[in-house]
Parts: sequence; C-alpha cells; structure tokens
Amino acid sequence: MRIPIRSGQGNYISAAAFCLVVLLLPVWPPTSYGATDKPSPSSEELLKLGERMYREGILPSGEPMNAFVKGDLPVPGTAFTCASCHLRSGLGSIEGGVVTPPTNGPYLFKPFKGYSSPRYVNTPFLPPQLVKYNSQYYQKPHNRPVYTDESLANALRSGIDSAGRVMNDVMPRYLLEDDEMKLLVSYLKSLSSEFSPGVTDTTIRFATIVSDGVSPEERNAMLVPLENYIRNKNQADVHDPRMIRSNQVRSTGARSRLMAAVTMTSLGVANRKLSLSCWELKGAPETWRGQLEEYYRKEPVFAILGGITRGEWQPIHQFCEDNRIPNIFPITDFPVVSQDDWYTLYLSKGYYQEGEGAARFLNGKEDLKDKRIIQFVRDSREGRALSRGFLETWRGFGQKAPETITLKAGMKLTAKSLQRELAQKKPAAIILWDGPEALKTLEMVAVEKNRPSIILVSSTYLGKSMLSLNERVQKFTYLTYPYGISQTPEERAVQLATKEITSSSMGSKVFSMEANTDATIRISLQTQILTIILHSALLDMRGNYYRDNLLDVIGMDMDQDVPLYERLSFGPGQRYASKGCYIVQLAKTGLVKKSGWVIH
Amino acid sequence: MKKALTLIQLLAFIAVLLVGFSAGADDRKYRRTIENYSMPDVVLVNQNGAKVRFKELMQSKPVIVDFIFGTCTTICPILSVSFANLQQKLGSNSQKVQLVSISIDPENDTPKVLKEYLKRYRSKPGWDFLTGTRSDIDKVMYAFNAYIPNKMSHFPLTLIRSPGDGKWIRIFGLMGSAEFISECQKVGIL
Ligand code: HEC
Repeated sequence: MRIPIRSGQGNYISAAAFCLVVLLLPVWPPTSYGATDKPSPSSEELLKLGERMYREGILPSGEPMNAFVKGDLPVPGTAFTCASCHLRSGLGSIEGGVVTPPTNGPYLFKPFKGYSSPRYVNTPFLPPQLVKYNSQYYQKPHNRPVYTDESLANALRSGIDSAGRVMNDVMPRYLLEDDEMKLLVSYLKSLSSEFSPGVTDTTIRFATIVSDGVSPEERNAMLVPLENYIRNKNQADVHDPRMIRSNQVRSTGARSRLMAAVTMTSLGVANRKLSLSCWELKGAPETWRGQLEEYYRKEPVFAILGGITRGEWQPIHQFCEDNRIPNIFPITDFPVVSQDDWYTLYLSKGYYQEGEGAARFLNGKEDLKDKRIIQFVRDSREGRALSRGFLETWRGFGQKAPETITLKAGMKLTAKSLQRELAQKKPAAIILWDGPEALKTLEMVAVEKNRPSIILVSSTYLGKSMLSLNERVQKFTYLTYPYGISQTPEERAVQLATKEITSSSMGSKVFSMEANTDATIRISLQTQILTIILHSALLDMRGNYYRDNLLDVIGMDMDQDVPLYERLSFGPGQRYASKGCYIVQLAKTGLVKKSGWVIH
Repeated sequence: MKKALTLIQLLAFIAVLLVGFSAGADDRKYRRTIENYSMPDVVLVNQNGAKVRFKELMQSKPVIVDFIFGTCTTICPILSVSFANLQQKLGSNSQKVQLVSISIDPENDTPKVLKEYLKRYRSKPGWDFLTGTRSDIDKVMYAFNAYIPNKMSHFPLTLIRSPGDGKWIRIFGLMGSAEFISECQKVGIL
C-alpha cells in the first residue's frame, strides 16, 4: 500500500498533510526490491528499475509513484511521468510558456550558467534569442550550482533546486523512499550521458536501406534527393547565417524565423559533416536481419534515413527497435502498425490507413446502418493490409465484421459469380480491395441492376489506372485517397471570406493528382519531406546527439504543410505523421471530396 | 530497513511549508477575466464515439472547458489533474458539473485515444473529451478567443461558465487546486 492522500481544502492543510507523509515515510517502508533475500540485482537491472520509474511512473514494488503538482494537486498514479515533461531523452521541452529543463546526467551534474556565457553551446532548451523574443511569455531558466545526489533528491522531493530556489510548482514533488530515490538518481545520471553510436567529433553517420527488387527509378527517386541534401549540408558554409537562412526549407512563418535566429548557436551541426551509406539488402526478407546486423557491426550509424524495400517493413522495424536505432520516414506502404514501438517514424500507416479511412467513412453513413456490406480482398500484401486496417477499425466501432470474399492471386472475378453475389445478398455497399483488375470488376458492376450505391476501392492499389475510371463507373465508385487535394476555387473563397485564415493557410494549397498517383514521383516527394524534417531536427537537437533526442525533437515539431499530404503532424510518441485519408469520387473536374481529411 | 528521519526529509518538510505559504501569500499567477461568448453549432465526437451537439452541451449545466490533446507534455497533465481533482471532490456528484476537454490535435485524437487518456486520469462520468473535424474544432477555438493554428503553440486556458448569468470566467495560466476550487465556488459550482 502506498500512502493514500486526498488533497485538503487549501494549501496549508494539504501542505501539512504532505509534511505528515514525509514524516511518516520512514515507518512506512514499501515491499521493494532488496527487501527480500533474492540475489541482489545487477546494475543493468537497477537501471531498468529506474527507467521504469522515469518512463512509466511505476515503483520497483509495482505501485505507481505518488506526487503533487501546483502545490497541492495529487497526481493520480501514472497519469503522467517524468518523460511526459522532460521527454524520453531527458532533454526537456518548452510548452505553453512552461520551460521544462533537461534532467539528464551531463546537465544536472554541471553547474548551469547558460545565459551568462555569450557563446554557449549545447544548451538543449530555450536559446537566449528566444528568451528575448518572447520574454514576457517564457520564464527564464535560472542559474544554479552543480547537483549532488542529496540536493537532487531534495529537488525531487521538495522542489528546491541546488541553488536553494523553490522551483515552479508545475514540477511535481515526489514521495519517494531512499532506496527508490537512489534508483531514480542513478538512472538520471546514466540518461543521455554519452552521445549515441554513429557520432564522432567530426561526423554524424547515417545509413539508408535499399533491397533488391526495387526498380532503378524508385531507388533513384529516394537516393538522389537524400544524397543531395547531405552534399548541400556538407558544402554549406554553416557559419554564414545567410546561408542557413536560405536553407530554411520550412514554409511556416514564425517558427522558421526563430529557427533562423537560433541557428548560429547550433555549432554542433556546423562542426560536423553528415555521411550517408546505402545498405543493400539481398535475397529473402528472412535473411535481412543477419545482413543488417552485419552492416551495423561494421558501421554503427546514428539513424537510418528513409529506406526502400519490396514488401513489409517489419524486419527492419524490428532491427531498429532491438538496436534502438531511429529510422525516419522509410518509404513503405507496409509499416508496422503499433501503439508502443518507439524507433521508427513513418509517414503514414500506408495501406492500413486507407482501410481505416474506409471503415470510418462507412461507419458514419446513417443510411448504411445494419445493412449488408461485402468485402472482396485480393490475396496479396496490399489486399491484406487494406483489409486489416478496415476490419480492425470497423470492429473498434463495435460493428460486426462484414462477409469477406478472398480473391486468390491471379483469380478473376467473373461476371457470373459477381451477379450471384449481388442477387443473393443485395449488399448496400461493396469494398473491393484489388489492384488495376478492379477496373474490370467495376465495369461489370456498372451494368448490374442490383448494383449497390457505394463501391469502395483503394486509389493507391489502383495506381495510375484510377485515372482511367470511366464516367459510368465514376458514379458509384468511391476511392480512399490518402494524399492532399487542391482547394477548389469555392473552398478558397469560403476560406478567404471567413476570418479563418492563418499564416499556415495563406497560400492556396496545390496538389497534383497525376503526380500523387505516380509511385516514383511520390517517392521523391516523400524523400523531400524527410530532408525537411531532418534538417530542422538536426538544428533542434542543439548538439545533443542522443537518438532518443532526435525522436523527441521531431515529436515536438509544429504541424507541417508539405507536398503530397494534406498535413503532417507530430507529438511525443506519435509515429505516423500523416493521419488522414480522403474518400473521393472522380469527376470531369478531377477529384471530388466525399469526406474530410480525417473522419471521426 | 527502518530509516531514521533524514536531514533531507526535514528539509523537505520545511520546503513544503514554504511552498504552501508562498503559494498562499503570492498573488495569483494566472489571469482572470469575465467574457461573453457565443457557441458555434457544431457536432463533435466524444470518447465513446458518440456525436455531441456542442452548443447544447455548453448550455446543459455548469460547464468547465479546457483545450488539451492526448500526447501533450507539461501543461495538459496539469490541467487534467485539476479536472480529476475536482471530480474527486465532487465524489458521487461528479455529474453536477460538465467538464469538457476539447482536443486541439483532432487528427491523432481518435475516440480511442481520448478514452485511454481519460482512463489515465481516472475520470468519472461528467468529464467528456471531444474531438472532431479540424474546421469544427477551429470554430470552437475561435468562439472562445482561443484560436491557435498549431497545437504546439498552445497555452493553458480554463473556461468556467457561470450557471447564473451564463457569462464565462476565462482563466489564463495554471491554477493550483485551492485556486481552482475557489473559482468554482465563486460561481456556485461547489
Ligand atoms: C508536469 C511536468 C513535469 C513532470 C511530470 C516532471 N517534471 Fe521535472 N521539472 C518540470 C519543470 C517545469 C521544471 C522547472 C522548474 C523550475 O526550474 O522552476 C522541472 C525541474 C526539474 C529538475 C531541476 C532541474 C534543474 O536544472 O534544476 C529536475 C532534476 C527534474 N525536474 C526531474 C524530474 C524527474 C526525475 C521527474 C519524474 C520523477 C520529473 N522531473 C517530472 C516539469 C516536470
């Protein structure tokens, strides 16, 4: 049992309650590690216990940590953890006017006098220019001497920093036993304490991955923009602020200016070259793991940029997860869809996301309530991913799975069997997860009198052939379309007429359906997006080359207007940047939206 | 095994007293104004996937609104702890007050994400977390003069609708629980 506390009526009462608790702590020992006669845990296990406290808010005893914020607000169990505010790397965050300083070893066990030194480097948070820019809004970080184990424990328990200052009460006051405190403090000491592999004084090493079977066009569509970015960065005179400013690829206003303003202090990037190797994978996916381990042993890299294979990303995803290597925006329509994995950041959920979009769309259709839906699924990687996205989402709505008919590879749906299905079952909607062959099926459906009013297909699976859907078929064909669509003049007019115009929607958005449906063009756009995000992340890391920090800073990124997608958004732990999928119909004028970008 | 009362704990004792007193003595760190807002007629979706007419929800009973998102750091936890704490105080009367958290990251915040978030804060009936289309969410933000183009530039805001005159108390900044409770008492919520 931990100490049950309800907050009192006011500061004084609950402060008193808190004091009581602090006083009573010594006689309230938890059944924690070390209290039994089990062999004493290894230092690695001890670090794991500290990590669990930091990331999950769970004590070695398995109980949640107890704390107070804002003086007297008890924090319910694991509602949030150190990592929620200080982030996983421990390098801190800025949000809503609150500066959360770093809490990693190298930072805590050094005096902090950040803003007295004019040319400081490696101060991971709030650069001085930003303080000036926004001084009424942000609190200024305070100087303080180096922490000791005791003063650190004191800070965590009572909120008094090593300078004796009472800290902002957004930082919780934790109720921790001495042995628990020791674990946490050891963990903080080890946290982001040495640069990750792949970083030297002169270089940050990256790799990308290409498997055999990828066409030369697709390979180049990824490699060329990536290599260009690396070359330009290495050739740029980064000490020249104008150079960096012109390098600003971001379109959004304020943040870019701020970024430009702080770039000069990011000497870490200025002093290091980037290198890029291409790891070629040969043979069956089951053998990739061995090849990857071998590449990595020979050349440890800081992160994997992009990458392109035929098929599932899973083997590479797992390799990165196990070795704790970030993989930023691999080019794949078959990502691993997971809630908890950390190391791979995808552009989207690929085909799965289109299935998800279809389910959300159909679920919102009142006139389809309790009506029959049939799902035809090509027995292919694409078909399976689409169907899985659909079914998992559909069931999440409490709907029962629709009848599913599998189309074996190579098998054609005949007019006769189609007629039979329609006549017997009279479905109100059909989902047809098939490639370009779907066009023939749609033609056959067009002449059926039992034709349902909606047939859903995947634009990505149809590929370029979607452009040749004829008028007869267009009427009842709905496509999942996970890319951006240009604003119509009417939409633009509405936007201009309302005051709902912001810096990010100043320019009318323009996307090309022809380009978006071309796999090669798409790959080069996706790689461009990768370089945009990478560029700002390298600056935002501010010389703190820890892999978790790379993912943390991207997680704190602003939403982005980019080519190809309607919008990319980020957030701590979010791993699929583009979250939307339109449902569209084709008409003479082009694509007609039948849904919003994100459907709930 | 039995530990003596350490110097640290003594220090902690004193510190907590200090914090308590300074918070009591300190004038509020948040900004409080009284406003009139008119609510947009939009339909949002709650943590159970149910459609909610926002305007109606805002008129039902005493309402407290904040803007948060599922993966937000630092300020959303604090705002949500306040909500959780108020519900704790209300006990079995938790439905007397309608707490409404509105997602400013509607793309990521699906009903499933909202539900998990509320669970983490041990929410009780009477606290709804809403998502919707970006344009509807924008309309709600505009209505409360709280528009931000980007979730990463958000700020802590709590809006309390006074059941008496329908006016809104707008609180900019983070409150402690005593402060929050006293704001609630002022409008007769507690
Ligand atoms: C709700 C957000 C939040 C959570 C959760 C949180 N912190 Fe903090 N932390 C802060 C803020 C904000 C500050 C800065 C306070 C100030 O300087 O006035 C801070 C300051 C600190 C400091 C002092 C740093 C310095 O330079 O003096 C340490 C150490 C620290 N936190 C460690 C932790 C640990 C360990 C945990 C988990 C057990 C944790 N924090 C949980 C927000 C948080």
